[in-house]
Amino acid sequence: MQSAIIAGIGHTEFGRLPERTAFDLEVEASKRAIEDAGLTPDDVDGLITDPGPAQGILDGITPHYLALGQYLGLDPAYTGSDILGGASSIAIIQRAVLAIEAGLCSVCLCVYGDSALSTPGSYSYGRGDDAAFGLFGAVGIHALAAQRHMHKWGTRPEQLAEVAIAARKHAAQTPHAQNQRPLTLEQYLADKYIAQPLRRADCCLMSDGAAAVIVTCPDRAADLRQSPVRILGHGQASSLSTWASTDHFDTLPAARCGPQTLARAGLTPNDIDLVMLYDCFTIVVLMQLEDYGFCKKGEAGAFVEGGRIGPSGSLPVNTSGGLLAEGYGGGMLHVIEAVRQLRGVAEQRQIKTVQTALVSGHGLGMNTHATLVLGK
Amino acid sequence: MSTNSQNSYPLPQPTGFTKKFWDACQDKVLTVYACKNCDHTFLPGGPACPQCWSPDLVSQPVSGLGTVFSFVVYQRTYHPAIPAPYVVALIELEEGPKLISNIIGCAPKDVEIGMSVRVHFETKDGFLLPRFTPLNPDNKSEG
Ligand SMILES: [Zn+2]
Repeated sequence: MQSAIIAGIGHTEFGRLPERTAFDLEVEASKRAIEDAGLTPDDVDGLITDPGPAQGILDGITPHYLALGQYLGLDPAYTGSDILGGASSIAIIQRAVLAIEAGLCSVCLCVYGDSALSTPGSYSYGRGDDAAFGLFGAVGIHALAAQRHMHKWGTRPEQLAEVAIAARKHAAQTPHAQNQRPLTLEQYLADKYIAQPLRRADCCLMSDGAAAVIVTCPDRAADLRQSPVRILGHGQASSLSTWASTDHFDTLPAARCGPQTLARAGLTPNDIDLVMLYDCFTIVVLMQLEDYGFCKKGEAGAFVEGGRIGPSGSLPVNTSGGLLAEGYGGGMLHVIEAVRQLRGVAEQRQIKTVQTALVSGHGLGMNTHATLVLGK
Repeated sequence: MSTNSQNSYPLPQPTGFTKKFWDACQDKVLTVYACKNCDHTFLPGGPACPQCWSPDLVSQPVSGLGTVFSFVVYQRTYHPAIPAPYVVALIELEEGPKLISNIIGCAPKDVEIGMSVRVHFETKDGFLLPRFTPLNPDNKSEG
């Protein structure tokens, strides 16, 4: 059987959009994705959603996919929502592939959306009983990992800065990016700490916005408006035992699902032309470069020096600016940029010879991870 | 998501699974959960031993000694009752389990990974919380 394909992509603007609701944004992104594919809403027989945290995940009565399906007037053969934090966008695409390959549906709409920027406190929640000790937001957990990386491997603030600076440089070439302001090393070092050692510039944006892709089977190719992007491999790994696991803060589950997914695609890290890494915090980019095998464990700090992951570097990472600068798209914007690059329509950001792309998703308290390998 | 919606201190909400731990704290005793079937010790509490899935658990007092596994200095205030700066640390207890707590009794700049610490109970709104202080006054110990 030929692998499933991504046939359509669509997203809204990203930024502060207080007059819009998450559902309104999700409908717009869905419409754009189905139009991009050259299909119609009547073709959609699968709907899988990634509701962002500001949507309260569920209101207790109406699941997110049900509400969105109602607004879109869909009666799909297969539906659901996945709640894996930042790994959800890839997880729902993964589910779409599985459903399509099992013959449960043939055109699956995968949607992320949220109004996190206009919803106060959406990402600054206390982490259960640990809120009593001031553990709030995702930043504290990632600062614990950053502190260990710095202690164990000698990683320096200037190396975290490389990730943040590269993201801004990529975003400067991305017309819809939310933060296109240049960032210098001096500005980075002078930036205020949020949760030391992480500064504000180490933290991703919050955004209102939505993004969607259409996953379908290759035998629909004749009906499509765009050249298809093939899904060469997908994988998932989790660390649900959290810090009871000895290496929870030192190694991401990516170390397991990364090599597995690449092997399923018949590829190695050297074969990947475009790397789109989930970048909620700069430290996570460094850890993933190691755990996916783009460099050795502990060497990511030195690896990113000299602008290596920036626009003119030898391994551009997150060519649209990522969560750090393009906007918080849950991970779906990473997938969309990979599709644009593989279609050859990334305009001034276009990498010359892109045959393959690796996209990652990372979620919750570093508990979940998902990997997607795409090809022409 | 409910704990930061008001200005009162965000105290723990002991449940059936965590009640023994927090109750012991109110007697200034730090405990871990121990499995009677396989002797595994762990935190936080749950319905069963995460190693063998036995529901036969007991609360077991520990030394209160541990080391700093990692830490973060919050420089932004997230809750009005917990003003920054403050140190949140993941403590690895001598007996093995890890827990989130605070390092108090030294300046944030003097906290280090591997530093030896000892539990110190502090009252917040009438509730005793287990915090940790450096074991050595010079904070130079390596774990
Ligand atoms: Zn056991």
